[in-house]
Amino acid sequence: MKKILLVAQREFLATAGTRAFIFGVLVTPVLIGAMIFILPRMMHNAPPKVVGDVAIIDPTGEVAPALTAYLTADQLAKRRDADYKRLQEAMPAALRSSGGSRVDAALSTALGEVPILTVVSLNPGADVEAAKHPLKAVPGKEAASANRLALIVVSRDAVVPDAGTGAFGSYQIFVRAKLDDRVEEEISDGIRDAIIGARVRKSGLERTRIDTLTRIDKVTSRTVTAGGEDRTNEVLNQIMPAAFMGLLLVSVMLSGQYLLTTTVEEKQNRVVEVLLSATSPMELMVGKIFGQMAVGLLVLALYLGLGVMALLSFASLGMIDPTLIVFLLLFFFIAYLTVGAFMAAIGAAVNDIREAQGLMTPVMMVIMVPWILWMPISRDPNSVFAIVLSFLPPVSSFVMMLRMASASPPPLWESLLSVVVSAAGAVAMLWFAAKVFRIGLLMFGKPPNFATLVRWVRMS
Amino acid sequence: MPDAIVLKGLTKTFGDTVAVRDLDLVVPQGALYGVIGPNGAGKTTTIRMILSIQMPDRGELSVLGHRSAMEAKDQIGYLPEERGLYKRMRVGHFLAYMARLKGDDGLDLETRVKKWLERVDLGDVANKRCEELSKGMQQKVQFLMAVMHRPSLIILDEPFSGLDPVNQRLLRDLVLEEHARGATVLFSTHVMVYAEQLCDHIVMIHRGLKVLDDTLGNIRSRFAPRSILFEPLDAAADAGALASIPGIAGVQQDGEAWEFQMAPSAQPGTVMQAMAAAMPPSRLELRRPTLEDLFIDIVSGESAEAGTLRAAVREHGSAHAGGRA
Repeated sequence: MKKILLVAQREFLATAGTRAFIFGVLVTPVLIGAMIFILPRMMHNAPPKVVGDVAIIDPTGEVAPALTAYLTADQLAKRRDADYKRLQEAMPAALRSSGGSRVDAALSTALGEVPILTVVSLNPGADVEAAKHPLKAVPGKEAASANRLALIVVSRDAVVPDAGTGAFGSYQIFVRAKLDDRVEEEISDGIRDAIIGARVRKSGLERTRIDTLTRIDKVTSRTVTAGGEDRTNEVLNQIMPAAFMGLLLVSVMLSGQYLLTTTVEEKQNRVVEVLLSATSPMELMVGKIFGQMAVGLLVLALYLGLGVMALLSFASLGMIDPTLIVFLLLFFFIAYLTVGAFMAAIGAAVNDIREAQGLMTPVMMVIMVPWILWMPISRDPNSVFAIVLSFLPPVSSFVMMLRMASASPPPLWESLLSVVVSAAGAVAMLWFAAKVFRIGLLMFGKPPNFATLVRWVRMS
Repeated sequence: MPDAIVLKGLTKTFGDTVAVRDLDLVVPQGALYGVIGPNGAGKTTTIRMILSIQMPDRGELSVLGHRSAMEAKDQIGYLPEERGLYKRMRVGHFLAYMARLKGDDGLDLETRVKKWLERVDLGDVANKRCEELSKGMQQKVQFLMAVMHRPSLIILDEPFSGLDPVNQRLLRDLVLEEHARGATVLFSTHVMVYAEQLCDHIVMIHRGLKVLDDTLGNIRSRFAPRSILFEPLDAAADAGALASIPGIAGVQQDGEAWEFQMAPSAQPGTVMQAMAAAMPPSRLELRRPTLEDLFIDIVSGESAEAGTLRAAVREHGSAHAGGRA
């Protein structure tokens, strides 16, 4: 046991003590956090203020005045203000209170600066093709007066229906290249509002009355739990299963990959024969697996800790059932032992890392299945497909984690049965790996295939 | 006191190739054994089986009184032929780690690591990464790794390959020190000079078979000298004419020297007297076969003597092993 711990300690320090690990695993989350903080500031000044005119050919004579009123700077500012308040209300309370001025800045950025738009009413009989010409001007290279942003052509029957068919006409909009989509949206909204207003007026109805009757504010549901009730967080509900499975997959695959690399290196460096003169192959393999398991646990603890902190800041920690974390750890050990044993066997069998890729590809594709299918599995976690996968090692641990973190978790007995089946898979893989490891470590030459590995297992 | 190593009928095959065939060997405690043989003879496989790194297909073995080296790994020091170090690890840490793996975790380990490094003129490399060392330096570090924990049995596979003459001498002295301390030493080599200089017992393996197993003294006495080295006083003289002297079976010139093969029935004293009388010599020497001669004879398998030698060795070797068993 002492030798196993010595090997494990060296394995852990040789991996977790490297600059590549510290940068890749520890610094990356910090960088992501920093980017989240810095990006909004960089983006704040990004969109330039839009100044220009919107031409309209309005044969009805009813739409242009309403569009002019809609696109005044005052009206634009008012609507921005309303949107801003709506976004603020939709935001979780914790983020709103902790974010402070940064959140305000981010919201302002999302909405953009208020554009200065001038509506130019063209002669109803004007040539449309000639009217489009100013749109072709290159922005900034022409005089300010030539800064045409859009041309709207309203149909003759847009306000009063065609006498023959009884159908309303519509409008056409032509815009300059690279026009800010928010400005285009404002113009489209304005013309639609102006046409509807004109139609209502012509029909002898009262616009404000219709607006009042057709308006219902959107509401969000509230989730009721034993601990009380809170607004349903749909985004977190969707992310949670993927987050748990992703955490499991990343920590297992990362440490498994490290195990493969260090085993191949030991074989390539020929240090393995020296080690085998001091330890048994089993002690060496188990020590290496334990060492990289500690690396995986470190990664898991780090990212889980970050996740818990993020949930704390959203005041949504209650969303996580503590048993879920217990099962996460349990499935980590099982999945890691399965994948780690396989990686150790491959590392011992091959001559270099390139040869390892050939043997790993089919197995990696199987392990990635839950990741590819996370959406259908998390939407319907109790489908026959999901249930079958959650009892099939080596993917069982990942799929069961996905199901358990979903909105409709499986019954406890299914989770426990999955643990037992997955653990049996891990034991079988360890048995296979121990045999391949012992023979493979001192085998050099022709790259092995799966048939060779099976022959080695029979030999030993 | 049990023998350090006892092998009985050890056999190992790889596919269709028999690497070691029915090998019997007894190495007493405190002995210094040299295992010689050409490349691919089965030396490394034999050593790996002794160390339980590879398992024999057939046969029995005992190492330091245990049925397997697994039970005595901490008492064994091993320098493999395929040298290996953790490239990124610091030299001092590597040696301490390997010593701990061998069960040596005394409080003074760090100090001893430094002392050993100084002993092999590497006092300033403890904090360097292994990959920063030259090949020769790496080999010395690996040798330290094999002896630092004061093992009872030291197995060295081709310990002198890749070393310059100064370091070969240093390593040879260290091996002799360890032997003088009481450790049993078994080393393999195909550099016969070192086997002759160091060992008191030679085992030769060829194509998986043991073809020689005896003390160096016995080998020398059993294989009587059968050739005479002659250098004429007058360097221009044609010494080839001496081939007509009765008892001379053949002659070969090598620069200024001439090597005369004696007929099996010839008396060396009579032949040498006749040669000196016929032509004044600057050098006249009865040449003993070196280990290298025996080695080449057996490996080439062409000479009639090689066949006789092999038969004699087998007879003697089995008697030797039988006596021990």
